[in-house]
Amino acid sequence: MTKSLPDLLRETFPKAQFDAADPGLGIESFPEWDSLGHFNFMLQVEEHFGVQFTVEEMSELKALPQIKAALATRGIAA
Amino acid sequence: MDIRLTSTSFLMPGNSAWRSLGEAHQLDFGAFGDWPQVLADPAQETVVAWVVFLDDVLSVEASDDASFDALLATLLAPLDARLARGSQRPVLVAWTSAAGGSVIEAARTPSASRALAARFEAALYERARQAPALHVLPLDQVFAKAGRDRCFDNRNYYAAHCRLSMTGLGALAAALGEILHRLSAPARKVLVLDCDNTLWGGVVGEDGVGGLTLGQDGTGAAYVDFQRAVKRLAQRGTVLAIASKNEEADVWSVFDTHPAMVLKRQDMAAWRINWSDKSHNIAVLAEELGIGLDSIAFWDDNPIERETVRAALPQVLVLDCPQQVIDWPKALLECSAFARFEVTAEDRRKTALYKARAEFVTELSERSDRVSFLRSIELRPQALPIEPASLARAAQLCAKTNQFNLRAARHSPADLTEIARTDGAVALLARLSDRFGDHGIVGLAIARPTADPDVAFLDTFLLSCRVLGRHLEAWLLDACVRPLREGGVRYLAGEFIPRERNAMAAGFLAEHGFAPLESLAARDQVRAAIDGLAAGGKLYTADLKSLAIPHLEIYADDKVAA
Repeated sequence: MTKSLPDLLRETFPKAQFDAADPGLGIESFPEWDSLGHFNFMLQVEEHFGVQFTVEEMSELKALPQIKAALATRGIAA
Repeated sequence: MDIRLTSTSFLMPGNSAWRSLGEAHQLDFGAFGDWPQVLADPAQETVVAWVVFLDDVLSVEASDDASFDALLATLLAPLDARLARGSQRPVLVAWTSAAGGSVIEAARTPSASRALAARFEAALYERARQAPALHVLPLDQVFAKAGRDRCFDNRNYYAAHCRLSMTGLGALAAALGEILHRLSAPARKVLVLDCDNTLWGGVVGEDGVGGLTLGQDGTGAAYVDFQRAVKRLAQRGTVLAIASKNEEADVWSVFDTHPAMVLKRQDMAAWRINWSDKSHNIAVLAEELGIGLDSIAFWDDNPIERETVRAALPQVLVLDCPQQVIDWPKALLECSAFARFEVTAEDRRKTALYKARAEFVTELSERSDRVSFLRSIELRPQALPIEPASLARAAQLCAKTNQFNLRAARHSPADLTEIARTDGAVALLARLSDRFGDHGIVGLAIARPTADPDVAFLDTFLLSCRVLGRHLEAWLLDACVRPLREGGVRYLAGEFIPRERNAMAAGFLAEHGFAPLESLAARDQVRAAIDGLAAGGKLYTADLKSLAIPHLEIYADDKVAA
């Protein structure tokens, strides 16, 4: 079953408070989503969709819309 | 447990790969690269897991033994500091070797990374022999199972200094979890096995011994290997038993006559082969072997039997055997439920010891005249002093005896040495052998003097449960009372302190000639003489002038070895 990016956010940050309906969520949207939290979230996204981002993408993709776009270039609709 | 993780690389705290370990334990990752301080810090008294990537320490220049030794000396110095200060808290060293090079370069001489890995491993196990707190976790073995290339991730390394992928982090977390679990929960002691379609293919009652699938090529070989795996567990201290729905004679005819049987009748400590419910039979086996249900694991090919046992006896570990028999040998060998850190000589004797107990209990239940039965089994008790050779066993009895133990005072070896040296104290170990075998040292009694020379106090009185039912407690009490009487002691006070599992010792004093302290005329004299009494204990006293200990007729014809 394909999960949405907010579902994967919930898996990485089970205790965080955030609005899953907010399409603009990104790094620093809540305290747990810091740079380390971001890396862990990106790993969760990779594992779920079976992709690997580049070193550059790991730091440049800072919000859900950018991640969506990067997945779309790999033919994945998230 | 509180676990302090520290590593030569970054471990990605907060990653979901750590979640299940984090639910079982409190994890603290500290700061990246703080391992030398964590290991050397004398204030660091939590469990420490040190994760070592030899890639992080192997420099390009290092290529000969001298340079390896220099590298390892630096790498191990903080660990040595922790071990040298005698910290008893466990320290886990998880380590993985550097990535291998070409097979061509390894064809004639080992690569630098392999050579360093071999030295590091030898250095760790050498320390583990001296330091009981040290536990080594070879991650190469763990990663080989998941696939080494899937466990490492170069992108993570160059983007975040983490050498592992999520798969690798998950495998590391799971392996740490297994070791941490065994530190707090003992291995299962007994494996209860089914027979038909478990030890061999087919149903002996229908197919006959000659019609079974066992030993032939294909599945027949897998059953043989499964038996070999079972035998290996037995050699490492797991006790074997059978619970099977068969005619008993049919099962033994397979054991005794089938040429491909690896397991023999004498490998089994106990069995229930009948048409009763298996959960009932397993409960009876536990009783007969004198162990708790939480020490038992059960293997049966039949999912319905497994579900029934699981529902009726939730403490029993019901193993989920793979669908296909060809996968069983590996599944059993990799099952960590039976794995223990070390196998002692005592562990290897376990089947014999449990078997002796089971045979005794069975025979006892079949005999109506208990006394004449006990007189017939050639009981040979022997009283031994606490001395350097027996000190470790005395301390082990204090630490591990939970059931027949009046006060459960957990004396250390140092305490015991001190007590044994005290003037007027009587400290005896009981050793027992009988027709069922040599049971070894199985009991300890300590009576120490009090402020009043007329009064002695029974500080410790315990028996291992593997010899219960023989009235050895009466013999041991008598052995303890004799020297007290000779020393002019008039009253022996005893105390029962209720603990979690010692209810079976609650009636011992009253049943062996002791009276509650309140009933004694000299009660105030006795109470005043004893110091260090626990709240909640129940005090008894015996007047040694008139004390008559029951059941001694069992040991009457003075079989005590000189």
